[in-house]
Amino acid sequence: MPTPRSLRRTNPFTIVLAVILCCGFFVFFFSPSSNDSSSSSANRQTSDTASNALSPPSLPFRKLKSNEPAPPPPVVHYHLNNLTTSKDPVANSETVLILTPLARFYQEYWDNLLKINYPHDLISLGFIIPKTKEGNAAYSALQAQVTKTQSGPKNKRFASVTILRQDTESPLQSQNEAERHKMENQKTRRAAMAKARNSLLFTTLGPTTSWVLWLDADIVEFPPTLIQDLARVNEPIVAPNCFQRFYNDDKKEKDIRPYDYNNWVDSPTAKEMANKMAKDGILLEGYAEMPTYRSLMAMMHDPSGDPGMKVKLDGVGGAALLVKAEVHRDGAMFPAFPFYHLIETEGFAKMAARLNWESYGLPNYLVYHYNE
Amino acid sequence: MLPLHESSPKGKMHRHAYSNGHTAYPSMGGSGTFSIQPHKFQPRSQPLRRRRQLIQRLLLGFSIFFTGIFWFFPHLRPNLGSGPLSLFSSNDEFQLETVRYYDLNNVGGTARGWEREERILLCAPLRDAAPHLPMFFSHLKNLTYPHNLIDLAFLVGDSKDNTISLLTELLSDLQAAKDPKQQFGEISIMEKDFGQKVNQDVESRHGFAAQAGRRKSMAQARNWLLSAALRPTHSWVYWRDVDVETAPFTILEDLMRHNKDIIVPNVWRPLPDWLGGEQPYDLNSWQESETALALADTLDEDAVIVEGYAEYATWRPHLAYLRDPYGDPDMEMEIDGVGGVSILAKAKVFRSGVHFPAFSFEKHAETEGFGKMAKRMKFSVVGLPHYTIWHLYEPSVDDIRHMEEMEQEKKKKEAEEAAKKERLDKIKDQFDFPSSQWEKDKTTIHNMAVKEEKQAGGSKKESETPKKEKKFAKPEKIHDVRGEERIEKKPAPEKLERIEQ
Repeated sequence: MPTPRSLRRTNPFTIVLAVILCCGFFVFFFSPSSNDSSSSSANRQTSDTASNALSPPSLPFRKLKSNEPAPPPPVVHYHLNNLTTSKDPVANSETVLILTPLARFYQEYWDNLLKINYPHDLISLGFIIPKTKEGNAAYSALQAQVTKTQSGPKNKRFASVTILRQDTESPLQSQNEAERHKMENQKTRRAAMAKARNSLLFTTLGPTTSWVLWLDADIVEFPPTLIQDLARVNEPIVAPNCFQRFYNDDKKEKDIRPYDYNNWVDSPTAKEMANKMAKDGILLEGYAEMPTYRSLMAMMHDPSGDPGMKVKLDGVGGAALLVKAEVHRDGAMFPAFPFYHLIETEGFAKMAARLNWESYGLPNYLVYHYNE
Repeated sequence: MLPLHESSPKGKMHRHAYSNGHTAYPSMGGSGTFSIQPHKFQPRSQPLRRRRQLIQRLLLGFSIFFTGIFWFFPHLRPNLGSGPLSLFSSNDEFQLETVRYYDLNNVGGTARGWEREERILLCAPLRDAAPHLPMFFSHLKNLTYPHNLIDLAFLVGDSKDNTISLLTELLSDLQAAKDPKQQFGEISIMEKDFGQKVNQDVESRHGFAAQAGRRKSMAQARNWLLSAALRPTHSWVYWRDVDVETAPFTILEDLMRHNKDIIVPNVWRPLPDWLGGEQPYDLNSWQESETALALADTLDEDAVIVEGYAEYATWRPHLAYLRDPYGDPDMEMEIDGVGGVSILAKAKVFRSGVHFPAFSFEKHAETEGFGKMAKRMKFSVVGLPHYTIWHLYEPSVDDIRHMEEMEQEKKKKEAEEAAKKERLDKIKDQFDFPSSQWEKDKTTIHNMAVKEEKQAGGSKKESETPKKEKKFAKPEKIHDVRGEERIEKKPAPEKLERIEQ
């Protein structure tokens, strides 16, 4: 074989190392130019990056090298006047904060979340998980998925992820469906839920956030354009209709049924009931013992209807809810106490109404709840 | 020749025993040759050596291929992690931390927060506040709570002066301090205009009619500030107005020690002496009264009760009026409404959703509504009647008018006095000292009287007249010695003389 002597003498490992080094150098030298040429997303990311660990959790921050002394935190200006919430959020690069109170982790939820086709570098995620046995399991499952996604392909990575743990004050023994929905348990359960939502909201809502999307951990299916579609309605608070897929034994086929009854239009009966109620009483929806005769959005669904049709609501559910951040900034939160005899998300709609923000629902736009 | 070599088949002597495949061992006869197959030195990795070029070409090809791939598809680049290999990674994107974990049970707030390194968020809403900023920053620098544990958040809205630029400058100076202990934590300045139409001067700020609307927009500003600045790391939130003139340096520790969910000190303000020296300032810290609750029931949904105005007589006990300058500063008092000058609250209060209602919540808004809502959620709300901080005294329009009047009066008085003095000096210069003249007159009169007595003892009435004159004239001279009077008095002895004649 006519191998040149010089090559024959060198160890093959040397050559392998040299090639690796070469690769490294190439990558090292070429990357800045490729960064400039890449889309606006890279630039956007660098401008929305905090330089210090002390920064809003809705922004990623630059890590310090381990031996570097920490510089004093900088003085940061946030121009909240320039924050927009428009009909076309992608074009205006508006940031969305997706908030999920998590008790159980469903892989379907995460997979569905990854399918959202809103630019992921404009999305921040926030989770709050109770400190229970079930919570611990959910925590580790979520952590694994987050780590996987955030070190995976760049266009799938989210701008930032915040995971909070908190003790719930009245942890119910079981999160299963029957126990959860008992009427006497509802007030404490929903008060605890409201507190969890508020904790999550007020610690993760950053000065750069334009929209807040509330998404329950058991919502496992919705169109990937959910954010754009709900934003296009251009109302302060927009709720899609929450349904559930199931196997209909009567018809022997797959079917859908309404799930979330907290989206409603108020009725005179309900108002009268509220007036007669004790100061701390609450009105609940979807219980036969308490006939309120409110018009439920779940019942307005028309499979052949226009998905863009909107209805003005007086109470909303939290399954999926797109809220302009300024509604929350004005102080609209989830009351953990009876507020006009309403609690949690329904109380939120009422408080927003007191602050002159209206709620709307899309009866023909469906998101699907997990079927236990 | 050695016999051993003679036996070799080729009959030759070989200096290099290995070159032809023979070993250095003696041959064993028989075949005549000792051989190990193959008859040649063999490198251990013959196939690798043979394909070396192929491998090299492959490697080169791969490296070019991957470089090309990474060039055109940047997101496919491998994540080399944060180890030493990350030096080769493309850019600082790999230095980005995107995931954060927090445990909210660790930030509940305790009585001795400075020992447990609990972070405080200090919030200050600002509007046209430039004149007060230097004073505020001197307070900041003097705080004894570890500065690195204090995060500062400001909301600047609808400002027409240089508040933003001055604030930025002062904050940069603060962070540029050489002593790292003087540097604060996260610093955020939120700029947001709400389009408030109410003027910020004292008169329009405190007029009754403007109150409800003003309080609602103040509440809105506070909520925007808090919702943008509260982090999962905060254990406490401290609200502080910039126009506090005097406050203890240890105020954060002092308030924290009580370990209450919401706690406020008493707020007074110093006054000029003519207004009484001092006055209660913040009347929004109060205990609920039956009268007020009854009043609240009569008002409509959007009405806001504001404290400290004659329009709503609530008869509530105010924290401010209960102050005893010599009382125990640690004494606590349960309150329902809260004043906003200086509030220390546990962050969990805000996390659970309590905020400053920008609507009428149980007939109250802003800080008073905040107290009401916190009570509703069973948090403890406490005031310290004998622990006082002092708000800056800004004279009201009436005060300013009054002070102007006082000033004018003073000036007038001064001018009068000066004129008087001048006149006095003039008199002194122009006229002789009058007593000598008087003495002379006195002796003349006396002499004349004596003479008269001698001449005729009968006419008594005439001799009494000069005595009367003397009585009147003397005090006048002592009190006020004026030229005119002097002139008037001069004729007196002449008159006497005339009478005599």
